[in-house]
Amino acid sequence: MSEEQKATILIVDDEEMVTTALRSFLQLATSYRILTYTTPREALQAVDDEFIDVVIADFLMPEMDGIAFLKAVRERRPEATRILLTGYADKENAIRAINEAGLYYYLEKPWDNDHLQVVIRNGVERAALFREIEIKAGELESAHDDLAGLRKRLIQAFV
Amino acid sequence: MSEAERSSLQMLMAGLAHEVNTPLGAIRSNRDVLQRAVNRLSDILADEVVDETEIDQIRDLVKTIGEVIDVDQVAVDVISGLVASVRDCWRTDLATLRPVDLHEGLESTLLLLRHELKHRIEVVREYGELPVVECYPSQVNQVFMNLILNASQAISGPGTITIRTYRRDDRVAVEISDTGAGIAPEDLERIFDAGFTTKGTKSGMGLGLRICREIIESHGGGIEVESTVGKGSTFRILLPIEQRAGASRT
Repeated sequence: MSEEQKATILIVDDEEMVTTALRSFLQLATSYRILTYTTPREALQAVDDEFIDVVIADFLMPEMDGIAFLKAVRERRPEATRILLTGYADKENAIRAINEAGLYYYLEKPWDNDHLQVVIRNGVERAALFREIEIKAGELESAHDDLAGLRKRLIQAFV
Repeated sequence: MSEAERSSLQMLMAGLAHEVNTPLGAIRSNRDVLQRAVNRLSDILADEVVDETEIDQIRDLVKTIGEVIDVDQVAVDVISGLVASVRDCWRTDLATLRPVDLHEGLESTLLLLRHELKHRIEVVREYGELPVVECYPSQVNQVFMNLILNASQAISGPGTITIRTYRRDDRVAVEISDTGAGIAPEDLERIFDAGFTTKGTKSGMGLGLRICREIIESHGGGIEVESTVGKGSTFRILLPIEQRAGASRT
């Protein structure tokens, strides 16, 4: 088994053959936790309920397209890395996805597993760094608050 | 081939490429998964002794192999279906006069247009009992394709296309209704004219309604249209069940 941490990868595609193929590969080649869904609605529910590191979404889906879905993910979990998996290259949609959904990577079907694995690994690292910065920023903020409190008490005591 | 026909064919091919890339993606990934699973099984079995944990690993691998084989079956069926529908629409023997199940032609056409329709348009089939109809299927299928594509393009956003078939005396009717924009009364008379379009230059419509009418009339049938602006349109194709001897051949 690989050395990767137990990061969570969420996959949504309305074609079950795609979600099963991706899950089979990732379970075999990595130790990530894999969640797969065939509707954006169910997938968004999972985004609300679970810690997610990387989201891979199909472009053409019923209910909402992949860009709208990833946009909704961005609002809920800005730290999650967002990847679009599309049936054919379309420059207009790629640009839309980058602008609207803060896309990290644009993958085309049929995809290459080795390439996909590298993209996901980098995406997991990115999400981890994002979280670490959030934690450090929080620590810095509370340290700053502590310092301000101390200063206030000093002033009250001696001035 | 006219500019309009070429652009409609291009759109169809782009849609088909997209439809094929999904199952192809699954098959390509699964081939890699099978390779990895077999390599791992060989590694495990290379040892003289296989222990309990290795037995569990073998079970997991066998399960994965079974799953991806099932997916490959589905993916291959999808691709075969697409290829068959392309073949059915352009088979050369369909260029001859023969008895035809029109529902088959409608289904092949819908499969070819799946990419154009899915996620946006619900297709409702109200198929009646139809006898086999003597016609040139490749031509009639082209008419179906044009009318369904027209219906789809008349609908902006989500909508419904209803396909109704029934027998009327010695003729059969195929009605294609959409919940689209509808056609203004002043345009209704001109839609069968050459070069009439409301779609601009970008959306080539294949043969155009004029050639659709020519095809149907050469079969001794007719096309009727009813439309309400804001509600949608219905195109009705009427075809005789049998061609009289000496019917015109195009």
